Amino acid sequence: MALKKNAVIVGGGTSKFGIRQAHLLDMIQEAASACSQDIPGLKPDDIDGLIVATTMAGRHSSALNTAPLVVHRLGLKPTSICIRLDTLCAGSNSAIIVAKGLIESGIAEVILVTGAEKVYMPQRWETNYTQLMVNDHDWDSAMGLGVPPPFFAMIAKMHMKRYGTTKEQMAHVSVANYNYGTTNPKGQFSGRTLTLKEAMEARIIADPFGLYDCCPLSDGASAVIIASEEKAKELSDRPLVYLRGTGQHATHSMSAGWPGETLAEWPHLKKAGEVAFKNAQLTPEDIDVAQVHDCFTISEIIELEELGFCQKGEGGDFVASGAIKLDGALPTNTDGGLISVGHPFGASGARQSLELCKQLQGRAINQVKDARFGLAHNLSGTCAQHTVVIYGREPVD
Amino acid sequence: MSEYKKAEIIGTPALNGTYVAEMDMWPLEAQEFNRLYPFYDHLREGKFTTTKCRKCGHVAFPPGVICPKCWSEELEWVELPQRARVVTFTETQAGAPIGFESPLIMAWLNFGEKAPLKHLLGRIINCREGQLKEGDEVKFVVFEVPSHPIEVKKETKVCNRVFYAFEPVK
Ligand SMILES: [Zn+2]
Repeated sequence: MALKKNAVIVGGGTSKFGIRQAHLLDMIQEAASACSQDIPGLKPDDIDGLIVATTMAGRHSSALNTAPLVVHRLGLKPTSICIRLDTLCAGSNSAIIVAKGLIESGIAEVILVTGAEKVYMPQRWETNYTQLMVNDHDWDSAMGLGVPPPFFAMIAKMHMKRYGTTKEQMAHVSVANYNYGTTNPKGQFSGRTLTLKEAMEARIIADPFGLYDCCPLSDGASAVIIASEEKAKELSDRPLVYLRGTGQHATHSMSAGWPGETLAEWPHLKKAGEVAFKNAQLTPEDIDVAQVHDCFTISEIIELEELGFCQKGEGGDFVASGAIKLDGALPTNTDGGLISVGHPFGASGARQSLELCKQLQGRAINQVKDARFGLAHNLSGTCAQHTVVIYGREPVD
Repeated sequence: MSEYKKAEIIGTPALNGTYVAEMDMWPLEAQEFNRLYPFYDHLREGKFTTTKCRKCGHVAFPPGVICPKCWSEELEWVELPQRARVVTFTETQAGAPIGFESPLIMAWLNFGEKAPLKHLLGRIINCREGQLKEGDEVKFVVFEVPSHPIEVKKETKVCNRVFYAFEPVK
């Protein structure tokens, strides 16, 4: 029996995120270009597999069978895998989970994972309208459910009521993430900083959220290379960053079947985290740097709780204590996160994983000193599903 | 090139007046497209229903063709409670999707500890902004939504539709 191979993330790149004057396929080409600049040894012919993560492509770019289009534009000749994958906001981290399995089993050697969304349309109404179509259309969308801020506002209100979380604690997340993201050249709010006062006094989007509690809508694309350990050594002489463990869990869709006692408890995330930590042979205490899905400030707070980085209900205190800052116990969203970099749904997971790759290789812009283990998390749908990917400088035994 | 600048047609003239199901925010409720059509027939009778498994007794929501607990196909339609309490809610002033008036009010509803469907996120209508409070009682309400055409051989049939939400108990 062949030995299981180890899968590593070699490097990658992203397009500029934001309101882009570009087609979906333009941005995927930009991300591929950035990826090749990041891995100078990489040639299109080295890539034997392609996984494209996108949700909106079918509607907004009229590109339902997206993978062959990407093959053509990037000049690829995949022989192991060539698919589009859609788990909304977790698309490219889901693709990385698939890539890990294909590499470890020997089916593929070098996989390009790319995630991309064209969100902004010629008329603004269409973007919000499309969001009705990415949930349980016949049941939830017809209720007007599906545009995220109102739903997460209810989650925040519940967390504030049950655990005493405050608007100021939530503002600490915005401030930390804006201040990390200011140095990210590809971010939507690159160059911008934020004070606690500005965050607290921002106009209300959906009570209790102000403007800076919410990530923006974004166009953009990301691309990373997942390869076998052997191939990675040929492509790059940087330290190897191993895919140690993953977990993904969904329990319901949206309006019915919420798994928690209230909206403030996310047991489906707790489960996904437990599975990922078990597979990675690690515990939350081992993680040096995290990228968690900050679609809203309250999301980051609850995620830090459910992933076990602090006690349940203490996420507000945890973020306000400075734990998520570069010199804190768990530097989090060190490239700016969704709040500052932007959130082109399918692109966000690979963007997070790329930041962890750089952190563990010691070359991040906001470098965490001697980072050895990193965790990425995506929430997808309207908190329907959770995806966790854990990286390390050593493989699991 | 100048003749191209004179184009006065805006939009998608080929679709003018045409129904596009892909852009429809309401379900295809007709029997021709949906095995759950009894749900909508029940709405017309003022009933809030779902499917219950005859094998294991599980009450699913939304209703289905099989039981999500045991995958049995032996299901029956049962009525659900029509009154619930508001646990928490949100009122959206700006950014409600086209087709939904502002304020768009959403609530997390509790139908009671013993109800087969304990919690549901639902839209609250017939309610002024600022009127709703946590703990308020709301009730199920049915309303008409736009019809759509279906081609049946050479004829076009019009399918009338209804949907449901919740409203404050006065
Ligand atoms: Zn059953």
